[in-house]
Amino acid sequence: MILVQNAIDAISLGAIYALAALGVGLIFSIMRLINFAHGELIMGGGFTLYVLTGEPYIVMAVAAILIVTVLALAMERVAFRPLRGANPATLLIASFALSYLLQHSVLLIFGSRAMGFDFLGGLNQSIEIGSLRVPGLEIAVVVVTALLLLGLTLFFKRSAIGIQMRAAAEDFDMARLVGVRADRVIAVAFALSGMLAGFVSLYVVAQGGSVSYKMGVNMVLVAFVASVIGGVGSLPGAALGGFLLGIVSVALQAFLPEEWRPYRDAFVFLLFIAFLLWRPQGILARRADRERV
Amino acid sequence: MLAVQDLHVSYGSVVALRGVSIDVAPGEIVAVIGPNGAGKSTLMRSIAGLVRPSRGEIRFQDSAIAGQPAERLVAQGLSLVPEGRRIFGSLTVGENIQLGATPRGDRRAAAADMERMLTLFPILKERFHQKAGKLSGGEQQMLAIARALMAAPKLLMLDEPSLGLAPLIVRKVYEVIAELRKSGVTVLVVEQAVHVALTASDRTYVMNAGAIVMAGRSAELRGTPGFEDAYFGAGPR
Repeated sequence: MILVQNAIDAISLGAIYALAALGVGLIFSIMRLINFAHGELIMGGGFTLYVLTGEPYIVMAVAAILIVTVLALAMERVAFRPLRGANPATLLIASFALSYLLQHSVLLIFGSRAMGFDFLGGLNQSIEIGSLRVPGLEIAVVVVTALLLLGLTLFFKRSAIGIQMRAAAEDFDMARLVGVRADRVIAVAFALSGMLAGFVSLYVVAQGGSVSYKMGVNMVLVAFVASVIGGVGSLPGAALGGFLLGIVSVALQAFLPEEWRPYRDAFVFLLFIAFLLWRPQGILARRADRERV
Repeated sequence: MLAVQDLHVSYGSVVALRGVSIDVAPGEIVAVIGPNGAGKSTLMRSIAGLVRPSRGEIRFQDSAIAGQPAERLVAQGLSLVPEGRRIFGSLTVGENIQLGATPRGDRRAAAADMERMLTLFPILKERFHQKAGKLSGGEQQMLAIARALMAAPKLLMLDEPSLGLAPLIVRKVYEVIAELRKSGVTVLVVEQAVHVALTASDRTYVMNAGAIVMAGRSAELRGTPGFEDAYFGAGPR
């Protein structure tokens, strides 16, 4: 029974990691930008919820997702569009700068203490299914993630702009040569990335019950690791990497000797290093289809 | 149709084009030949809007287009099939062809063109739902051409369409190019395969070391004194 319980924990944590990894992976696949400021999108969602405390949950949630989406679009427009075509190192540094700028702006306004408030507090109660006790939040996470993944899959397979984005992810210049508008696919990528960050922020706040200016930092690191495990530039890879990372984290939490558990993350990263030595290109590395003659 | 005047392009401190001028009249097939590194691909990429020239003028259908982004030029009727074909390998054959119609507003005309492409290239119909990366080199070249034609181009530019293909396939590619001309498409083709280019085109420019070193009617060029020197020589200093 404890195994089933752990499995549910693992899938739910993996689902959140997958959403975070997809948010980072989407931007990377299109413009080779590792956006460390993705964490501050999550923070933006958290603080939107904080400001709207007392409103109905649904209003808070929808507002957070919308605000983060707009914030992501603004980020692209103000910070990254002027750097279009710059080399990846420049883009990476710019995203660090943006990340710090946003964190410290929030620090100035709200201070450094984590602030607690209620958002979806009821979901932290467990629901009993037979002899299982599953937190309601975990069920919500799994359901919402499944719907989001399904929606994204349909979007990328069926819609014209989705197909254009897959083409741009594979070969950006060639996509432009067939008429794909660079500004448009990049803007849509940021909007989707922001939406995903919005959903992640709902989870972070519902689970932790508080917001602080550093609340997105850990998640963006996890997202980055997950997308590397999955194979950088591959969206299915990012999702898969997220799930794997969630499963490994929960498994270590469950099976490590008691006195080692506080250092769980050290073991997670140790395994990550070992994984990179074994398969540096990730699980679903993009094959060089183009090399074939 | 296309007029390039005194085009200069540099990559950092490396000069790739030093004052190239060519022109292409409507309905013509024009070839640009020259050895590796002569600047042929750079010329194509600057016309298509992927490379910004440092100096010079490019006119397409009597409007200046130098410096305009690629996605806008393709909407105006200028399509490039780049070197190495660059099909989207992780997408299906059908998605690749469909992507070619991105700049077009008229969905119905695009759908009709899709049918036309599948008749012109039956192999693509057979492989419609397969990943394009699984196609052979020749099939990929057909796909790349079909994709470019979906934009209904007035000027089709092809960069080394014969590269890496078996002679039989090369012939098929150039048969298609001849067909296109009959349907009113103007063609500018870059080739390293001299014989193929001279046979298929009306006029030919010879490029070397970033400049045009010779030009003339393709049928006459081969016998012209100095042709081999122009092709194999080091070019102007």
